[in-house]
Amino acid sequence: MTTSGIAPSAAPPVARLIEAFHRLPGIGPKGAQRLTYYLIRMPRQEAEELAQAILSVKDRITLCRTCTNIGEGGECVVCADLTRDRSRICVVEEPLDVAAIERTRAFRGSYHVLHGVISPVNGVGPEDLKVRELLERLKGDQVQEVILATNPNLEGEATGMYLQRLIAPLGIRVSRLARGLPSGSDLEYADDATLAHALEARTRLDEPRPEPGEE
Amino acid sequence: MRQRDIGEADRLLWVITPDRGIVRCTARGARKPASKLGGHIDLLRHVTLSLRSGRSLDHVSQVETISGFRELRSDLVKASVGSYVAELAERFSVEGGANPPLFRLLVSALGRLESSARPQSLARCFEMRLLSLSGFLPELEVCVECGARLAESPHVFSSERGGILCPQCRVGGGDVLVPAGAGTIKFLRFLRTADWDRVERIGVPGEDFRQAGRVLRAYLRYVLDHSIRSTAFLDEVSRRPVSKFVDQVRPG
Repeated sequence: MTTSGIAPSAAPPVARLIEAFHRLPGIGPKGAQRLTYYLIRMPRQEAEELAQAILSVKDRITLCRTCTNIGEGGECVVCADLTRDRSRICVVEEPLDVAAIERTRAFRGSYHVLHGVISPVNGVGPEDLKVRELLERLKGDQVQEVILATNPNLEGEATGMYLQRLIAPLGIRVSRLARGLPSGSDLEYADDATLAHALEARTRLDEPRPEPGEE
Repeated sequence: MRQRDIGEADRLLWVITPDRGIVRCTARGARKPASKLGGHIDLLRHVTLSLRSGRSLDHVSQVETISGFRELRSDLVKASVGSYVAELAERFSVEGGANPPLFRLLVSALGRLESSARPQSLARCFEMRLLSLSGFLPELEVCVECGARLAESPHVFSSERGGILCPQCRVGGGDVLVPAGAGTIKFLRFLRTADWDRVERIGVPGEDFRQAGRVLRAYLRYVLDHSIRSTAFLDEVSRRPVSKFVDQVRPG
């Protein structure tokens, strides 16, 4: 979309900023205008801090050389933490998935970020993901388990099955996150696959639950 | 058929329907774990959708699964073939263009794929039926150029001319030609009339089967004037061992 198309009557610098916001994911033309006019009213110091924060992310952030997560100076926070269990690798699609799992505080292992998912209809194959880097990490005998935490949809499952097929010959245990009913949901609206998975992976209430990461 | 994340937790969907062809619509909040829509609107699911009209796109208000094709989600080759047939069906469809036979063919193929012991055979059958349904059935009885009856010998297939060429007519012309041996032509003829059951049962020599696949794929690419994206991954998972990373997965 052109600048004049979004804000035909705005001054050129304003129109340029509206267009820049509009290119961001999830921001439509109205949202882009709201953000722009909010910034115009913002004190100069705050605007400078925001601009500096954006530039600093672009200048200092790199992919972690071990897990390809977002990090600084070639290393992410998790890989820099010497107390993490390096024998377990949790494979996720995106850096945001690392943040989601970290919020649970239930996993003390390390991660590997694929930066996408195999999507045949969109022409995204394994060579477009960080699969080669994952296989490099599995050389040697340090890693005992790979936990596949791709999204529970067709493309996430296909990616998981593909990785499982690659890793199986290495003799490393491959597991994946359990599927089932989300907390706070309504059984009536659950789809057949979710309900079937929940039934298959049902748990006994008269046995103590294992701690995360226990055999 | 396809989907894309939009907004905070919404999805934009491309849905194939019997009476409106391809429909683009949004499913609000579908990415949230407790969404009532999320589990039903994954790729390759047969569902009943209720749509509410929006300003530019329709919104999904209710959805109920008719078949989730669960077996496709636990078998890599079946998932890949499923993606391939779905992409073909989408490419032969247009927004707003009703095509109930194509929709029925797709649902029937995905259903058969679940229990199929030979997913690749099913893909060949689907390709031929789709060509037949769309009016592009290739000429396999006589030379497409001179009309001479084809002898039991190796020939070539011309996508541009839509059929087999005899040895005399293959000379000259700028067409891209794909070899088609006698066994391949016989198998292609069989596919024109075979149902899913017969395709599963028939034994075809490996090279004839692969050649038939190359003929159909070249012809489909010509008819669609577009490459078929999902073939790359389908070829990758059909290889044994998985060759792209074979150096890295060899034990020791």
